[in-house]
Amino acid sequence: MTISLKVNGKPIKVACNPGDVLTDVLRNAGFVEVKKGCGTGNCGICTVLLDGVPVPSCSLIAGRADGHEITTIRGVEAEAKEFADFLVAEGADQCGFCSPGFTLNVLAMKKELKSPSVDEIKHYMAGNLCRCTGYEGQLRAVVKYLEAQHE
Amino acid sequence: MKNIAESALNVRGQTQYIDDLPEPAGCLQAAVRLSDSAHGRIIAIKTDKALALDPSVQVITGKDVPGVNQIGFNKPDEPLLPEHEWEYWGQPVALVLAKNRETARAAAKLVEIEGEELPVVTDPREAARNSDFILPSRTIQCGDTEEAFKHCAYVIEGRVESGGQEHVYLETQGAMAEVREGGKVFVISSTQGPSGVQRAIAQSLGLPMNMVEVEARRLGGAFGGKEDQAATWASLAALGAWISKKPVKLYLNRHEDMRATGKRHPYSSDFKIGAAQDGTILAFEADYYQNSGSTCDLSPAILARTVLHATGAYKIPNVRVTGYMCKTNLPSFTAFRGFGAPQAFFVIESAIDALSQASGIPVVEIQKKNLYREGDSTYFGMEMERVRAHEAFDRLLEKTQWHSLQAEISDFNHKSRTVKKGAAIIPVCFGISFTKLPMNQAGALVHVYVDGSVLVSTGAIEMGQQVSRKIATVVSETLGVPLENIRVERTTTLTVANTVPTAASTGSDLNGMAARIACLEIKKRLAGKAGELLGASPEVVRFENGMIFKNDEKTELSWKDLIVKANEARIDLSAHGFYATPDLFYDMKAERGKPFAYHVYGAAAVVATVDTMRGTYDLESVSIVHDIGHSLDISVDRGQIEGALAQGLGWSLLEDLRFGTDGKPMSDTLSTYKVPDISFMPRTMDIEFLPEIENPATPFNSKAVGEPPLQYGIAGYFAILNALRAANPAGKTFYSIPLTPEKAAGFLDGAEV
Repeated sequence: MTISLKVNGKPIKVACNPGDVLTDVLRNAGFVEVKKGCGTGNCGICTVLLDGVPVPSCSLIAGRADGHEITTIRGVEAEAKEFADFLVAEGADQCGFCSPGFTLNVLAMKKELKSPSVDEIKHYMAGNLCRCTGYEGQLRAVVKYLEAQHE
Repeated sequence: MKNIAESALNVRGQTQYIDDLPEPAGCLQAAVRLSDSAHGRIIAIKTDKALALDPSVQVITGKDVPGVNQIGFNKPDEPLLPEHEWEYWGQPVALVLAKNRETARAAAKLVEIEGEELPVVTDPREAARNSDFILPSRTIQCGDTEEAFKHCAYVIEGRVESGGQEHVYLETQGAMAEVREGGKVFVISSTQGPSGVQRAIAQSLGLPMNMVEVEARRLGGAFGGKEDQAATWASLAALGAWISKKPVKLYLNRHEDMRATGKRHPYSSDFKIGAAQDGTILAFEADYYQNSGSTCDLSPAILARTVLHATGAYKIPNVRVTGYMCKTNLPSFTAFRGFGAPQAFFVIESAIDALSQASGIPVVEIQKKNLYREGDSTYFGMEMERVRAHEAFDRLLEKTQWHSLQAEISDFNHKSRTVKKGAAIIPVCFGISFTKLPMNQAGALVHVYVDGSVLVSTGAIEMGQQVSRKIATVVSETLGVPLENIRVERTTTLTVANTVPTAASTGSDLNGMAARIACLEIKKRLAGKAGELLGASPEVVRFENGMIFKNDEKTELSWKDLIVKANEARIDLSAHGFYATPDLFYDMKAERGKPFAYHVYGAAAVVATVDTMRGTYDLESVSIVHDIGHSLDISVDRGQIEGALAQGLGWSLLEDLRFGTDGKPMSDTLSTYKVPDISFMPRTMDIEFLPEIENPATPFNSKAVGEPPLQYGIAGYFAILNALRAANPAGKTFYSIPLTPEKAAGFLDGAEV
């Protein structure tokens, strides 16, 4: 089957099998910035925005994204770069494998929640696993990034 | 100033990990057929159905290995693909190649293993009863424990269990291989040790090592899991490429990775501790039954670290500790951050807890009384220098206002029925150096190009610990050149040979020193030329921030100009540096020596609350005082401490690695194996660094930071245990980690867990 997606603003058509998940379809189409962590929807590594809403792309049948807009980390270059500086400053960049998914979820949270508390941030980010940072540096980076947005 | 360019790329998803690299034309995808029982004899491997699936399918088995079908170097017990017997559930038995990954995986499922099931052992004590050991046991002895126990006011014995731990490096294992012109094999591997991978590939393909090139790019996490065990996947990819004559990529999915690869060793241990009336520990004995899994792998080195950390941060005059490497039908357990030390720390801290329970002396009093002091000798005869155990411990007591905190907790527990609080401290004293002595060496290659930019290659693998950034800092400070002119390249066996894995927390110590030595050599040559140009003796020439100074006065001569002039004068602008940690020695027969270059000290306090109805718990706070030396990058080191703590807490509390008695992996996905998430972490985390201190074994008095803080997680176990005791004083103490909510609920119910 062939599905139509709009990835980072650009319409594409991709061939896939009915059972393929969105992560694999995107990666096969060259969007390797979408990483695969667990394949069971538990780690958040493969997060992309589907019409602006964060989803674990490994648990979404690609066909269900047909006709929808997908945003990967490369589609939010400027914001990602800005947030990256906060992560690096807090020692929370480390291996980097979880960063694209984590960053997309932070950006989605920024849109969805006005001035979230630390508990709200933790609740929002609980689906994004990171094995390097112990989350503390990530949390500092998110808090400081959100503060900087208000200034 | 920071060299953040590469880091920023990671965050933006632009780093290429193994599976992101563009594939060479005609690249085949590989999959592995994993065994589906824990032990058996191979009668036949049937490939007909797999081959019938698609014309692109090829199946490769052990008999196809052209060289020696063996990648075990500590002991030859690890065939690349087994020809006679499989020894754990999830062992790769056949390699399958196909045009794409889906086809390769589907074909792998169709490969039939016809075999005869053999008995399965998963319990290390059962293996010990059968005398089924990987290698002979190891005992370190000091003084006379038997005699000492006779004079103790308290003698307590007990048993301690600690579970295994899955690495969950987020990038799974993988490699891409191709055979290039002249039969040269080129492999990109997600490995901490490219030279080890190179050796395994050369041996299994029957090639000299100079025909095999291995490159390692940035890894998406490793934590020890890619120290020895990356070799399997890289060798399989290379084997596939060699036989098919096409490029081959092998990249495991999470399920395959969690089944097939080794994890932290589970241990089952017995202890006996004896103390005087005042809590002075006089004697300690322990037997560690290490569950080594199916092959040797790194088990002896890991056991070495266990028996060398048996007394934790404490001076104990009479010691006898023995470690056993027990062979079981489980994946070969392997390196994991801490490398056998966390298991030892948990045993000694459990013994002290048991001593406190029996004597009524508070744990913290026993801990403080017995900490190492300057000039003490360890039970293996190493004289302790620059000891900071008391400094860290006392500062932590002060910082947490420990005594009033205890009073507050007791008051809280008096008033609160359904929520109870507990706190605990752990002091850490962690030896830095590879326990396998010959591994304490490193090389570096430094080039200065004619435009003044600097390129550094070392054996240090970048896997998130920002070792590249630290080495760049060392090079920048040594050459007096701004950081933006320095680039640290990925590791390949072409530029630096015979490297040791980036492991044992030594990555920036060893490779930083080697890079510094290379830079000093280049600088010596350049100082001669600068002296000549400035009419001064080389001794008064100094390099700083890209400019040349004479007698501490800035001159007109810049680094860039000097490089051009030096090149014109035909001065060598490249150097190879080599570093071997000095003064290390160890007599394996006597079990005496100085196996560590230095120690890292610290202490952590954890406060936790327990829901007494459910057994669930919350980590309220953690306070850490840590000995970091002169940090090469404070935010990186802080990140290392936080990350290590999370893994330590995960191991102590949450991560429940399970196998059935038939050896079946029961926690082989991230839906069945729970690692800490952001909400699991302590509500507050306070990290304080001890003042800088001299440390001649490293660049600029820095200290290794990767592993020591992992031990802090153990305080989480004891904090929760203490809260559980407040809820049920009659509860039966068990020393068994992880202390999952399930076990906590069992304690509250009075169950023997």
